[in-house]
Amino acid sequence: MSISSERSSTLVDRFRDTAVGKAMFRSPSRVTPRDRAAGHWSNFFLHLYPVKMRRKEISFRYSYYLGIISAVLFGSLIVSGIYLMFFYVPSPGQAYANIQTLQTDVSLGQYMRNVHRWSAHLMVLAVAAHMAKMFYRGAYKPPREFNWVIGVILLVLTLLLSFTGYLLPWDQLAFWAVTVGSEMAAFVPLIGGRVQELLLGGPVVNSATLLRFYVLHVAVLPSIMVAVLMIHLWRWRKDSMLDAAREEGDD
Amino acid sequence: MTDESEVKVSLADEPATIGSKRVLGIVPGKPIAGERKEPAKKDMVMVWPHLLVRHAVAALGALITVLVVSVFFDAPLREIANPELTPNPEKAPWYFAALQELLSHFHPMVAGILVPGGIVAGLIALPFLDRNPSLATKSRKVAVTAFTTFMVVWIILTLIGFAFRGPNWGWVWPWNEWHGEL
Amino acid sequence: MSSILTRRALLARTWKVGLGLIGAAGIWSMWDLLQPLATPGFGGKVRSVAASVITEGSVTEVSEARAYLVRPPGGDIIALSSKCTHLGCKVPYCESSGRFECPCHGTTFNLIGEYLTGPAPRGMDTHPVEVGADGLLYIDTGTREDGPVPGVLTLDEPATGPSCDEGGHA
Repeated sequence: MSISSERSSTLVDRFRDTAVGKAMFRSPSRVTPRDRAAGHWSNFFLHLYPVKMRRKEISFRYSYYLGIISAVLFGSLIVSGIYLMFFYVPSPGQAYANIQTLQTDVSLGQYMRNVHRWSAHLMVLAVAAHMAKMFYRGAYKPPREFNWVIGVILLVLTLLLSFTGYLLPWDQLAFWAVTVGSEMAAFVPLIGGRVQELLLGGPVVNSATLLRFYVLHVAVLPSIMVAVLMIHLWRWRKDSMLDAAREEGDD
Repeated sequence: MTDESEVKVSLADEPATIGSKRVLGIVPGKPIAGERKEPAKKDMVMVWPHLLVRHAVAALGALITVLVVSVFFDAPLREIANPELTPNPEKAPWYFAALQELLSHFHPMVAGILVPGGIVAGLIALPFLDRNPSLATKSRKVAVTAFTTFMVVWIILTLIGFAFRGPNWGWVWPWNEWHGEL
Repeated sequence: MSSILTRRALLARTWKVGLGLIGAAGIWSMWDLLQPLATPGFGGKVRSVAASVITEGSVTEVSEARAYLVRPPGGDIIALSSKCTHLGCKVPYCESSGRFECPCHGTTFNLIGEYLTGPAPRGMDTHPVEVGADGLLYIDTGTREDGPVPGVLTLDEPATGPSCDEGGHA
């Protein structure tokens, strides 16, 4: 205790030594590697990561960091998306005018819309590239088969999120892309027509469709996405420990 | 913790002891948790700071890219939706451009259901189809060739559907007339 | 080999069956609750024009029904759905070629909606047409009949001019 307080130099270190700091961080000083590991282990945000990894696993070549890039873009989509929700009503009478108002009258409105749009496109790219990189590394092989499956589900969710968001501006681009996209569902044997009507809330794209896609886009799909993403990251941490034990010696 | 080497094992009548505990037997073989070699110590690094710093740089890079691109390029907004008038050409979002290109050649049952369904099912089944345990590209020729072919075909189809298709889904050269929509 | 059902096995099985039933009920009610509501306008019977307006060779668009009224040679008036049987784009009528030409993937149909070229799987779908008490034609957009399969051509005429794709006018 006395040693650590003598060595504490930064503001953060000193805060950690106060009663409040100890209550918050519940970890000893960060002097030895063992202390640091303990600090890592007891930190909520760092619990997504393993404490130690193999040296080659943290290199750029190993992953191109596409996973973290996808996650960050998802975060940017949540923040900019919530901002946009304040100015948007999902009804054919108002949606388009809302977007116009957003672009012309709301401060940072156009900018936030741009951030949302480009983050979405980049996230589709990043997630697809992440999948390709994992394929070439053979990261879908035992013991990580199931995390690959979860990854594919995340890719599909990303595409669905992007597609449901595409309708919301209610412009020509949106309306006809969704008309064509949903028409494909009608070709599923037996239940196709019913599935399409369920998606659209009617025989054609209409106000019910806009509402349904909005609910899917801002509530249903993001919740599923976050839940599945948590499983993905949890398994990543567990599997990276397994892998370290398994691969020791070869390569 | 008592180090294993300190345990004194004797075959005499008196059982060996560690501290105040008697050793009743020593069982040879694997540890209970399965065969698990400890990785070489020098190969392991602390995630904090080594990986977290790299992740922070990658994350900031991605974020800055988006923030800068958004300054210079505005998200498109066309005229208000009009059920009476289909724009010509009618383009799906770019990530579905390959599907749209296929749809202009095949029955929608094939291009709209079987192909995308098959792709997703194939990707999910991949770890269970490819039982080759090797991680080296050289010994995975079949898998790597198949996946690369799929990726190349898909990227070409996406490019064609995105940039090389114009009115009535006819062929155009993107440098002559541009019809891509983001 | 005894087949006595122990209490433990019975309970385990009951739990599973119960969970299955609850799950099935949940899916069924979701499916049922999300069914679209009946809306006025498209989806019901749409009033249009008098039958006398529809002459052979003319194409009358009824926007609210998303349909065209045409009269095949020597036949009764039919309502062609303007939704392309390929992927639902609106198929405009091209005045100069005398054909329906879909802008999305280039499918063409002749004057009475029979399939000519392109990726669509069949000719244009039709809605039943009735004459109402007021003498006007009513299009039943709630009912849709599949268009004729490719190859059926009762009206085999060449295009009357350039297609709208090649600079013709709509």
